[in-house]
Amino acid sequence: MDINVRKRSQVQVIQLRGALRMGPAVDSLRQTLEEAIGNGDTRIVMNLSEVPMVDSSGIGLLVRFLAVIKQHGGNLKLAQPSKFAVQTLRLVGVLKLFEIFDNDDAAVESFS
Amino acid sequence: MPADGGPENSGLSELLDLSVPADSEAIASVVDAVTVTLERLEVPEQKRFEVALAVQEALANAVIHGCGNDPSKKVRCQLKGDPLGRILISVTDPGPGFKPDLVADPLRREGVYADHGRGVYLIRQLMDEVHFASNGSEIRMWKY
Repeated sequence: MDINVRKRSQVQVIQLRGALRMGPAVDSLRQTLEEAIGNGDTRIVMNLSEVPMVDSSGIGLLVRFLAVIKQHGGNLKLAQPSKFAVQTLRLVGVLKLFEIFDNDDAAVESFS
Repeated sequence: MPADGGPENSGLSELLDLSVPADSEAIASVVDAVTVTLERLEVPEQKRFEVALAVQEALANAVIHGCGNDPSKKVRCQLKGDPLGRILISVTDPGPGFKPDLVADPLRREGVYADHGRGVYLIRQLMDEVHFASNGSEIRMWKY
């Protein structure tokens, strides 16, 4: 999985490309999120437009960090989740936990 | 009806039979092989997605719970299909098995932020029939 991080208006925008599943993909994203929180960056937008699969390990990571980031006063918002990512999150009842936006701009602006 | 309670297996052709080390990268290659096989058979995208994710979850459970994340152990994945488009996937691990009925419901309120415990639930949502054999160390999943 490719993970691209950039900062826009004090918001970390994390672009993922590839399946978010058990193994290196989940491990790399966990490290990225831990580093962001460690640096005090708790306003995060995660773009899932190029994520064709999110398995239960990926779901577990997303909801766990959503909770941790909210405890730090921030939020983890999703932008452009793929059709299959939305279906999977809905199937396990966690889609409603996230704020979801049509694009990165709208998600970033929602923090201001 | 066969002994495991699943549908009749007659008329099924073997499409894949892979045994791989119990590690995450190896199981990703199996999921990708299943996807490529289903693409070759012109299985619709939605059905391919649902089968691939169920296979990913079944293999992940086999690696974590059946093999204790020990890559010296192996998990086996068999894919069969018939002319009606029915697909049967079996995933087997060398572990002692488990009691699938004891898996907690991930939709309960206190479980919604949990970082694990959704795999079997997802499989049951994605596939049309799911049966466990050999005390839970083999899962047979049907998609019609």
